[in-house]
Amino acid sequence: MIEKLKHLLAHALINLARAGWGGVASIASITVSFVIIGIFLLLIQHFNALVTEWKEQFQVSVFLDNQITPLQLEMLRRRIENEAAVKAFTFTTKEEALANFRRELKGQESLLEGLGDNPLPASFQLKIREGYQSPEALKGLSAFLSRLEGVEDIQYWQELVERISHAARLIRLLGIIIGSVLTLGSAMIVSNIIRLAVYARAQEIEIMRLVGATKAYIRAPFLVEGMLQGSLGAVLALGVLFAAYRSVAPTFNLASQLFPAAAGQGFLESSMMAGLVGGGAVIGALGSSIAVSRFLKM
Amino acid sequence: MIQMFHVYKTFGKDLEALVDVDLHIHKGEIVFLAGPNGAGKSTLLRLIFCDEFPTSGQILVNGRTTVHMKPRAIPYLRRTMGIVFQDFKLLRDRTIEENLALVALVAGGTAIQARQKVAQLLKLVGLSHKAQMVPCKLSSSEQQRVAMARALMNDPLILLADEPTGNLDTEQAADAIRLLFEINAQGTTVLVATHNLKLAEEAGCRTVFLKQGRIVEDRQRVNLPTGPAQQKRV
Repeated sequence: MIEKLKHLLAHALINLARAGWGGVASIASITVSFVIIGIFLLLIQHFNALVTEWKEQFQVSVFLDNQITPLQLEMLRRRIENEAAVKAFTFTTKEEALANFRRELKGQESLLEGLGDNPLPASFQLKIREGYQSPEALKGLSAFLSRLEGVEDIQYWQELVERISHAARLIRLLGIIIGSVLTLGSAMIVSNIIRLAVYARAQEIEIMRLVGATKAYIRAPFLVEGMLQGSLGAVLALGVLFAAYRSVAPTFNLASQLFPAAAGQGFLESSMMAGLVGGGAVIGALGSSIAVSRFLKM
Repeated sequence: MIQMFHVYKTFGKDLEALVDVDLHIHKGEIVFLAGPNGAGKSTLLRLIFCDEFPTSGQILVNGRTTVHMKPRAIPYLRRTMGIVFQDFKLLRDRTIEENLALVALVAGGTAIQARQKVAQLLKLVGLSHKAQMVPCKLSSSEQQRVAMARALMNDPLILLADEPTGNLDTEQAADAIRLLFEINAQGTTVLVATHNLKLAEEAGCRTVFLKQGRIVEDRQRVNLPTGPAQQKRV
């Protein structure tokens, strides 16, 4: 069995070498397609991380009226505690809010001179449970909380969340459409290149048929050749993508400070890389199968 | 071994290649199929190894019907046969050894088994010293002997030869026929298609004459010390 596999691989490598510029064109076409697919995968991966990060930190800030009474505060705390959408919450006093703000302005505290009374309100920061993080659920929660006594304002970056979710969905959809078109195109190119190889070996195939070779035996070296072309193209694409990523990544330093989890994603996950290489092999095999099936008639 | 019952083969709408062919070839026989070009000899052979299928009629090869044979069974049928062609059909970019070994590898044999069998057959046809040569370095006669050796790789029950002497001169043709008789003497059923009527007659064995797709004469061989071969007019 191992000998047969070695023989098959050797045959496929020889054929790949014989394919010459045709093989190079085939591999180059798959590389280009997979670079584009890889870009989409990177974008989707980073957007997913961004959305996940936001969801992790998902906070709804409930800013309180400066005139809120202790009783109203306690009532509000209990309402929030009993609210199903709220996973956890913290309370920040006016003084704590000012201290936090001072820390964020590190080095520029002089801006607070002449501020007078502390203008920052006390607030509850709510962490929202999964399942309640959609724009619609948040809108409902906000409407509910805003009606409670002592609540001045509700903030949850509604518009930004909606935009990010929408963008993520759009990129995913675009990636699927473009990826499908490119995959099909690549398979067709591999198919044409392999078909040339099949025609070039028409005599050999004919003789193999006449001496009793099964379709699978005839097809196998071409399938392996197609898989080699496809996976090689995908590996090259990963190399190109990685080089490009390394050169472009430093440009997004500011973004990395704002969205550390998303930036910390780095290059594609190993499962995605393996998927790309596997996908390349599948495309190559598919193109090859189409080419050989058309030729064989038994 | 090979039985054909009322076989017709028509190409397209009206090109009748074979018309009402009834033919029975027994195990161990050597039979010549003679006739002019276009008589249907090659078509008859192609029906036997299932490169074509009859328009109507029945064909049995070694007891198995081939008319409704499933495509995936055809390679296994062909492994029980050896086929020799006029143009030899040797792979130009492979050595003689590789050309022969291909048959064993295709049938699932190992490289070692293939090499042993190749050595044995090249010795039989007297070409052991040319095992590493490519076909273009050999003469026509030598290439035909290689083609016959290849046809024997799977120890076939039946050997089909389609115009095996077509590209050979008289002396080479006689050598090729002699080799076919040697193969037949080992027990292999041999069927030889040829347009060379003189060759067929000189062979002195059973000869089936074809003309315009029909069998017009089936001349049986009779083992008499003197006298002509017995003729059976169809």
